[in-house]
Amino acid sequence: MGLLTILKKMKQKEREMRLLMLGLDNAGKTTILKKFNGEDVSTISPTLGFNIKTLEHRGFKLNIWDVGGQKSLRSYWRNYFESTDGLVWVVDSADRLRLDDCRRELGALLLEERLAGATLLVFANKQDLPGALSKEAIREALALDDIKSHHWCVIGCSAVTGENLLAGVDWLLDDIAARIFTAD
Amino acid sequence: MSYSCTSRGNSQDPSASSANNAARSGDSAADSTGSGSPTQAAAMKVKKGCNSAEVVGVPATTEEELQARTAISPEDVLGLQKITANYLCGPEENIYNIDFTRFKIRDMETGTVLFEITKPPSTDKAGEKRDIDPNAGRFVRYQFTPAFLRLRQVGATVEFTVGDMPIENFRMIERHYFREKLLKSFDFEFGFCMPSSKNTCEHIYEFPPLSEDIIREMVVHPYETQSDSFYFVDNKLVMHNKADYSYNGGT
Repeated sequence: MGLLTILKKMKQKEREMRLLMLGLDNAGKTTILKKFNGEDVSTISPTLGFNIKTLEHRGFKLNIWDVGGQKSLRSYWRNYFESTDGLVWVVDSADRLRLDDCRRELGALLLEERLAGATLLVFANKQDLPGALSKEAIREALALDDIKSHHWCVIGCSAVTGENLLAGVDWLLDDIAARIFTAD
Repeated sequence: MSYSCTSRGNSQDPSASSANNAARSGDSAADSTGSGSPTQAAAMKVKKGCNSAEVVGVPATTEEELQARTAISPEDVLGLQKITANYLCGPEENIYNIDFTRFKIRDMETGTVLFEITKPPSTDKAGEKRDIDPNAGRFVRYQFTPAFLRLRQVGATVEFTVGDMPIENFRMIERHYFREKLLKSFDFEFGFCMPSSKNTCEHIYEFPPLSEDIIREMVVHPYETQSDSFYFVDNKLVMHNKADYSYNGGT
């Protein structure tokens, strides 16, 4: 029995998943995390480190890591790749000027070996803002259709209203569960 | 289950922020006032699937054994069978300048914040002297009402800052006892912490079921519920905090 198989079996027993939430600064990662867990989102400041939440959802033990997205912090992202089952890439759909940046950073992540086995959920956040691009436009701008290496899905959402957060997370959990808890 | 947090410096009056006053901080060193106090600590009580008491293969250890060692590992403290009488490391061993700045408990069912305590960032710069009592801030006494033991699902948040050196592998082990009985052993690996970072961690969990007998005993025997919080960097103990608890507040 290989090490990977053993690890898989251990995870299976605990039904534990590690989700890593990344994206440019001001994309809304922390707001998503807090809203999803029923916390007040009226005063959120830039994350200069990480925010972790551990919780149970649908019988899974989730460890969700939200890591600061400022440019100076991005070189630290790699420290959080290990054992990631799901990558949540959060996009500020109203920040048209930085979509190129956004696409490049995501592209670089998808080349990371330690994220090779992770399912990708793209949250096209801030759909509540008038100038927000639709999830189809985000899909195009980030060239998501070119991704062949990962299971992925793009979902339009609003961290402020909570719209579609649950739908996104549930899709992610279903995909991960189908990969790691049933396959052997 | 109980929670602990020790904080020094300008602690807020927790009862003021406590919506239903289910939790109130005790009268320990946590309420010291000093400006820019250098050390401070927090501990959290969280649920954890892996109860290390059930982990096979961790040899039992005693406090006396560990006191004799130069470095103490996670396995060492996981082998402890009861609350320690003394601290297993000195405040000076916190060379990474890890500083706990917030502790919060909310009731997930109502969304009510039951307890929150914050402290301004440490200003422990050159020239400022550490406290006369080096253990101040490492211990706190908590008073809760009996209702606290009947909460169903809570979220416990800690916030901590890190000095200007990155931490490769940060891990916390917290062990709660009522008398000699281990109620809960919680083990969480934060892993990497960025230099000069501020980080938070909230554990949302169901209260472990306690029998009516245990609850009654815990209520009538204040401060016999105790916890040790051990913090490791690269598997070496760098901080040790303690707390004790009463559940007869308001009676």
